[in-house]
Amino acid sequence: MDATERIQAASKFLLQAPPGEINDVLNDVRNIISDDESLQDGVLPALREYNLAQFTTVDVPGADHQAIVSEAARLPGEDERFFDPRSKTSFVFDHLTLEAADAQPVEIDADAEPFRAALEAATLSYLQAHFHDGVASVFAVTGSSKFFVQIVANKYNPSNYWSGRWRSEYVVNLDENRVDGKVLVNVHYYEQGNVQLSTNHTSSLSLPSAVVTSAPGPSATKILALIEDEEGQYQTSLNDTYHEMGEKTFKGLRRALPMTRQKLDWDKVLGYKLGAELSASKGVFGSS
Amino acid sequence: MADLVDSMLDLMRRLPPTRVEENVAALVGICPDYADDLLGSVDQPLQLRTDRATGKEYLACDYNRDGESYRSPWSNEYDPPLEDGTTPTPKLRKLEITANEAFDTYREMYFEGGVSSVYLWDLDDGGFAGVVLLKKTMTPTAPSEPAGSWDSIHVFEAVERGRQAHYKLTSTIMLQLVTHKGGPVEHVSEGVSGTKGKDGWKKEGETTLSGSMTRQTEQDWPLQDASSHITNTGKMIEEMEIKMRNLLQEVYFGKTRDIVYDLRSVDDLAKARRQRELQKELVGFIKR
Repeated sequence: MDATERIQAASKFLLQAPPGEINDVLNDVRNIISDDESLQDGVLPALREYNLAQFTTVDVPGADHQAIVSEAARLPGEDERFFDPRSKTSFVFDHLTLEAADAQPVEIDADAEPFRAALEAATLSYLQAHFHDGVASVFAVTGSSKFFVQIVANKYNPSNYWSGRWRSEYVVNLDENRVDGKVLVNVHYYEQGNVQLSTNHTSSLSLPSAVVTSAPGPSATKILALIEDEEGQYQTSLNDTYHEMGEKTFKGLRRALPMTRQKLDWDKVLGYKLGAELSASKGVFGSS
Repeated sequence: MADLVDSMLDLMRRLPPTRVEENVAALVGICPDYADDLLGSVDQPLQLRTDRATGKEYLACDYNRDGESYRSPWSNEYDPPLEDGTTPTPKLRKLEITANEAFDTYREMYFEGGVSSVYLWDLDDGGFAGVVLLKKTMTPTAPSEPAGSWDSIHVFEAVERGRQAHYKLTSTIMLQLVTHKGGPVEHVSEGVSGTKGKDGWKKEGETTLSGSMTRQTEQDWPLQDASSHITNTGKMIEEMEIKMRNLLQEVYFGKTRDIVYDLRSVDDLAKARRQRELQKELVGFIKR
């Protein structure tokens, strides 16, 4: 493998990092590649891609809330400048330290702002109602009637060897009267093992025209009520999926005990196998 | 550089179990000098192969590999054929044949399908070691049916001490469960509203639980003759699989689900908070 291929392989590892473990993966990769100089610049694109895809949260300079750094949060025409519509601040984001710097006030799309602000208010109260430690951002797409609602909730518990992340994204399109959603859940449990839950769920809904034509406030509240309902149903249906996997797949792969409801009698397993030709009628299982 | 191997193992404990083969191959590409260390300590899904002589299926892993060839437990032949491939001594091969028959019975009793293979080899200090492999795969007949696979790798060392034998057992179980919900297939069979819920949302998604867990035990068992090794390791492996099956059930269906509920609550948290405050107020009011 040449240097370029090694950086490519390292980048692939980084993109697979479980919730909250990007630094652990980066440390391992640094040790394995043992060429900090080429690594530092080489993996930056992967770190950037990871941060944007994973809805990395950032403390907004000068505000007392966090915002999501994602593709939707990128300031149009800029590569590394992101913005938080809630505080109307833009900032440069460091993909390695995950810190924001050089905060500047940002001009917002006045036409879209009333509905965006209403959607944000409704999203924040939904966040309060259903997420432990969640962060949400709502973005208006300039020059269209499209809005991005993004939610992320993280729980990292390295001392108990687990971490989890819930990501939701809804694209509200007022021109087409529809909402397209996506929920991604990742859980990593790694005490004496490595067990991961990974789910993806997409949903779409045509909005009744009454919802779209209402004033921003009631319209946004109604849309979030629909989302609340859908996500609640999804979470409940996950229970059914768990039940099904436990009852059908898990039991189908390996029984808890043989049909006889007792463990094997190994002396007889052996005796039966060795003496199979002599006494084929001998039972395999004992009563002990 | 043990440090480097530690980093590789730490990395493999974090990256998605569904991509273990691809990631191990990438690590071997980066550090070819450590290929043996890595392949010997990272468990990968067992490969199914067919014995050319008997037509029977067997399992391939690092323990029956010599160069690019794998030895079948049924015919003792390497595929592709090897002139001087490592094989057990005649005495140990006899035990290996019996062990394969015994664990084939065990496999049928607990897995009701799948494939098993046992490989034994002599140790330099006089004892011997072995690996018991079990694999079962559930392939869905329709996309809506759940899919899954179970791979057991039980590695043991046996040291004879007079009429006793001391065993060291390391067991790894890899388990993968996948469920697909909604999507175009159901759509066709059930008409336009196939994946549409009562609430009007169109949904589709996939849930994957995958991973591996490893446990170790050391035990002494009485020894009558050589075949005692099979009854002894049989009992140990059976006990270990029962214990680990319970553990997997707990982690897969309990722990990961609890973490999802630590991220998002189905119930309205804000409402619950308000109720608690109201209760406190009432209690205070009554006390007054």
